[in-house]
Amino acid sequence: MIVRRTAVLFVVVVAVVAGIVASLALGAVDIPLSTVIDALTGKADPGPLRQIVLDLRLPRTVEAIAVGAGLGVAGALLQGALANPLASPDVIGVTGGAGFGAVLILIVFPGSVALLPVGALFFGLLAAGLVFAIAWAGPNAGGTGRLILAGIAIAALFGAGMTSIMVAYPDRVQSALFFIAGGLTSDGWADLKVVWPYFAVGFVLAIGLTRPLDRLALGDDVAASLGARPRLIRLIAGVAAALLAAAAASLAGLLGFLGLVVPHAVRLASGTSSHTYVMPVSALGGSALLLAGDTLARTVRAPIELPVGPFMVVIGVPLFLFLLRRAV
Amino acid sequence: MRSAKNLLHPLLAVLAAFLAFAFLAAAPAAQAAPPKRVVALTPFAANTLAGLGVTPVGIGNTLGGDKRFASNLRTAKRLTLSHPNGPNMEELAVLNPQLVFSSPTWAKGAKTMRDLDIKVVNADPANVADAYATTKMIGAKVGKPDGGKLLAARLKRQVNSAAKGIRKRPRTLVVLGVGRTPFVLLPNSWGGSIVQKAGARLITGGVKPNRSGFVRISDEKILTSNPDVIIAIPHGNADDMSDIAKFLRTNPAWKDSKAVKSNRLYVSGDNSLLQAGTDVAKVIRNVRAKYLDND
Repeated sequence: MIVRRTAVLFVVVVAVVAGIVASLALGAVDIPLSTVIDALTGKADPGPLRQIVLDLRLPRTVEAIAVGAGLGVAGALLQGALANPLASPDVIGVTGGAGFGAVLILIVFPGSVALLPVGALFFGLLAAGLVFAIAWAGPNAGGTGRLILAGIAIAALFGAGMTSIMVAYPDRVQSALFFIAGGLTSDGWADLKVVWPYFAVGFVLAIGLTRPLDRLALGDDVAASLGARPRLIRLIAGVAAALLAAAAASLAGLLGFLGLVVPHAVRLASGTSSHTYVMPVSALGGSALLLAGDTLARTVRAPIELPVGPFMVVIGVPLFLFLLRRAV
Repeated sequence: MRSAKNLLHPLLAVLAAFLAFAFLAAAPAAQAAPPKRVVALTPFAANTLAGLGVTPVGIGNTLGGDKRFASNLRTAKRLTLSHPNGPNMEELAVLNPQLVFSSPTWAKGAKTMRDLDIKVVNADPANVADAYATTKMIGAKVGKPDGGKLLAARLKRQVNSAAKGIRKRPRTLVVLGVGRTPFVLLPNSWGGSIVQKAGARLITGGVKPNRSGFVRISDEKILTSNPDVIIAIPHGNADDMSDIAKFLRTNPAWKDSKAVKSNRLYVSGDNSLLQAGTDVAKVIRNVRAKYLDND
């Protein structure tokens, strides 16, 4: 078992490193690897090639790592906390809320477009907050079923809001399509500067939850008998997942698929469900998948840029189905 | 000999019957009256009809397009257009049109219109070159082929005159949309072809024209192209334009370009580069004077 886990970890680390190298070295403009290295080490002469590496590719690579890791961890947190294999950031309404916030800014308030990440983040967290408020009120407060149903209702509410805006402003929909399809943009460090604290808090909470989630996997009653507080763990896991998923959506649009599939793929490949293992490896796996998807989206039809969402599905689904078939 | 005569009579009878049938079949076509009740969903078709002296029973109200309607169309019934059908089919049916000049944008609605026994023709030119043929086609469809030809010839003369005396050919990036994922207009788009006529060399990253006329190209290509002029066509209210321009100037791929450094990033606040119109020459002159410093 240890050999299998180590092998999976090794493969994922190699995939991340390869993804980083590819993301920095490949693009619409051919830049020799030596120039990329010179730019990164501060030896390159000022000019467009240096600018491409430092201002466009490097921030985009860091964004892909953060977003991929955030969604991978968010999926692992929610699947563990809700004991539901279908759990993903979509389930707690974050994706729907972030989509609504982004579409609202892009279509209704285009003059405030600089606030796009803030809008997506705010409405993503608002949606999650509403889900938690509903799920933790009334009888069976904090129950898994209640949380999932509240999430479906709130996601539908924000989804309807997003559709209504798009129907009301049909001539403006083009601006929002890329966000909805999911994709990274070359917008430097500006957006990352806004959302990094949310990633940081989300990751720190996730690290603290690895062992409590393992206890929760034994069932609420057993976990409680071991001194754990299942509903509190679920709430903190939900908050951490909401922070990570909302921050990810504000940078890369709607890529919920990644949060659903990566933790499953890690469990299937490694043969373990221990969160101490699944959580960090999902972070690495999510980063590797998004780096690969984004590099493909930028280079397959260069200089045309395509949304990354479909590419991640193209890469992720065959891998996932292969693992699923082997597991069955 | 006798048998040959016997054969001749039936053959003549068949020939006479065929000629009579052909005459009857051709007669309605030759006498077909031009449609009296015409609806123009595109501003281009509406203004062309006005130029031909035909008053449409209804015109489509596209965003910003109403400002560019000919003065004699001001009283025409306005049909609010929305995705995916275009006009409300009940509102359209009440007008009882025989012919609708539509656009590929409303392709879904065109099917419903045909189900209502309305003839539908696309009349929204994709680019300047397409405008002449579309003008002639509109003329022919409303029974004024000569008028259509004259109008097309006049349009061509106006365009040629507006494009005369170009001194500079700045490398120009024309982008559509808001946010960090703007789409670049290609030469076969309405705006792209207008800006080209005004003297610009369009930056497209080497992408060949596609059906939509715009595409999202890599910021890396834009950065290395170093445009002299950037024209952004966002959506939004007039008040939003300065904020949008301010935001666009911070784009890492554009901020060090000649265009931004020389303060030649412009935001077009109207729809003249997006929506085909008959005021092509005026728009070309406007682009030359306002954006390309080429008047």
